[in-house]
Amino acid sequence: MSGRTMNGPGEPTRNPPAARCHGVTKTYGRGNAAVQALRGVDLEVRAGELLMLAGPSGCGKTTLISVLAGLLQRDGGECSVLEHDYMRMSLNETTRFRKRNIGFVFQSFDLIPALTAAENVATPLLINGLKRQAALERAGALLRMMGFDDRMLRSLPAELSGGQQQRAAIARALVHDPRLIVCDEPTSALDSENGHAVMGLLRRFALGKERMLVVVTHDDRIFEFADVIARMEDGRIVRVEKTPRRVNEPQRDA
Amino acid sequence: MIFIALKMLLGDRTKYAGLLFGVAFTSFLVTFSASYFGGMMTRSFALIAENPQADVWVMDQTVMSVDHPVNLPAADLNRVRSVDGVRSAVPLALAQADARFPNGRVQSFQVIGVDDATLAGVPPLVSGETAAVLRLPDAVIVDEGGSSGKLATPSLKVDQWPRGRPRLDVPLRLPIAGDELLVNDTRVRVVGRSVALPRFPPRPLMFTTYSTAERILLPERRRLTFVLVSAGRGLDAHRLAARIEAATDLRARTAKDFKTDTVDWMLANSEDVGDAVTMLSIAMLVGFGVTGVMMFMFTNENLKYYAVLNAMGATFQSLLRMIGAQVALCALLGTGLGLGLCVLAGRIFEHYGFPFRMMWFAPTLGGAAVLLVSLGAAAFSVRSVLKMQPALFLAGR
Repeated sequence: MSGRTMNGPGEPTRNPPAARCHGVTKTYGRGNAAVQALRGVDLEVRAGELLMLAGPSGCGKTTLISVLAGLLQRDGGECSVLEHDYMRMSLNETTRFRKRNIGFVFQSFDLIPALTAAENVATPLLINGLKRQAALERAGALLRMMGFDDRMLRSLPAELSGGQQQRAAIARALVHDPRLIVCDEPTSALDSENGHAVMGLLRRFALGKERMLVVVTHDDRIFEFADVIARMEDGRIVRVEKTPRRVNEPQRDA
Repeated sequence: MIFIALKMLLGDRTKYAGLLFGVAFTSFLVTFSASYFGGMMTRSFALIAENPQADVWVMDQTVMSVDHPVNLPAADLNRVRSVDGVRSAVPLALAQADARFPNGRVQSFQVIGVDDATLAGVPPLVSGETAAVLRLPDAVIVDEGGSSGKLATPSLKVDQWPRGRPRLDVPLRLPIAGDELLVNDTRVRVVGRSVALPRFPPRPLMFTTYSTAERILLPERRRLTFVLVSAGRGLDAHRLAARIEAATDLRARTAKDFKTDTVDWMLANSEDVGDAVTMLSIAMLVGFGVTGVMMFMFTNENLKYYAVLNAMGATFQSLLRMIGAQVALCALLGTGLGLGLCVLAGRIFEHYGFPFRMMWFAPTLGGAAVLLVSLGAAAFSVRSVLKMQPALFLAGR
């Protein structure tokens, strides 16, 4: 079964899909060792929408966001993100596309241990060619908005708490103003309170009219933050649920 | 991105220190062995360096090195003197001879017979006296020539010239003026010790006059080994050498060319060259092992972060540049440290009389070895970056 987010009668007008997948398949390995991670996934994500991919471990959630983010090539089906099809792009073109348009929040934060919080957040800007000083100023400003003080800006990841590290990771995903942000289990390493705080932060800072968020999770405590919840099982999307109250919520421009 | 690369490198101090050590070790070992080898080669032409008055060395056609002489007929000295442009030409005799010390010990010497009139080429004496002491009957000046302990002679009178068995295990001292030695059953009198340039291979030296050398050495039809020529005023040594060769059919080389010939001969024939090359190879292998493994470990442990950077849009070219910058920093600092250490060690070695001469090629060789080792280490560690798949890191695998 495939899932597709559609406007129902009487629902407010939603943006057209900015990312669209149809019949996407992906298999790891070959022969007897082959594992079919995606078995024909249909999915649409609209700008201004926070979509959560939920499902048990091994159901293909991370593979699907990897395909969406251009980190993994699909085997079959169609997929376009911001009107770009990775299959028609070279490796370097895909990397450059990610540089401009995609932000990542990784499961274990993956902040570079040798860089301070501000330097970590400035990294996507440096990759995009911004001068170091300008990048650090912009990163510092964003981190301050997220509650960091000057000392924390200069702290190494190991000197920050888990919640602070995750906030820095979110800032790193946002700082270069990408159109798509993918988050892989952003709350799995946090307690309930911190998890809620992080999701609140994501909604507050990351969502914008032009920006879409795809969050992989199996933490049902944070479903309330989603606009759309797509449930996956065995490499397929089995159900798509909308939470309309979020659609009308005022959103911050990215 | 280079900023990030360098912060990543400097952030992991243990591995950074390990990398620096590996590169510095390579640089030190290669430069040191090259300088040591340079020192040995310099010592191989010490006799030429000790005769700065000789613009041209004349010898038998077959002589290729200062240490492997073939003697000439005595008449060749006058043939050389008759060549136009020769201001002066003096004879030099070289030979090996065994000398018996007063306690009965036998030691091989290189006997250097210098011109009786000018005494050219006699090094300064420890006592401060002039070379004129060689004009005394049967006089010789002895020198360690880079060796050590080979001039030891018995301190006590009772141990000198004993009857019966030699007295080897007795108190010893260095020879002083008045001591006697037996060379080919001819008694010679030591008139002093000199401070000649050390030789390679090291060997005790015995300076004497040409005529004394002729008397104490075993009789040979030919005794003249080299003719040392000073060029006339304004005459180029190369031109004079060519003129002597044309006129006498002997081999004539400028001092500089003869030094080069000697080094070339050593490079082609000496087993020590093989030892030096082995040492250089081991140094590079160890350096490559240490640096390569450390660099690989460093890159491998940071692979996750390279994957994160790649996911965020850093191209593989950027990542390679980052690794290149890390390697370049280590190479630059490591080379500097290695060279600095080498200079320090060289000073100490020179102080203790070991052959050490840092010529231009030694640091160049050290730098080239570091470059090679660093490139190898970079290539070794870059492979894993090129093969990584960022999606696997996103999946936490």
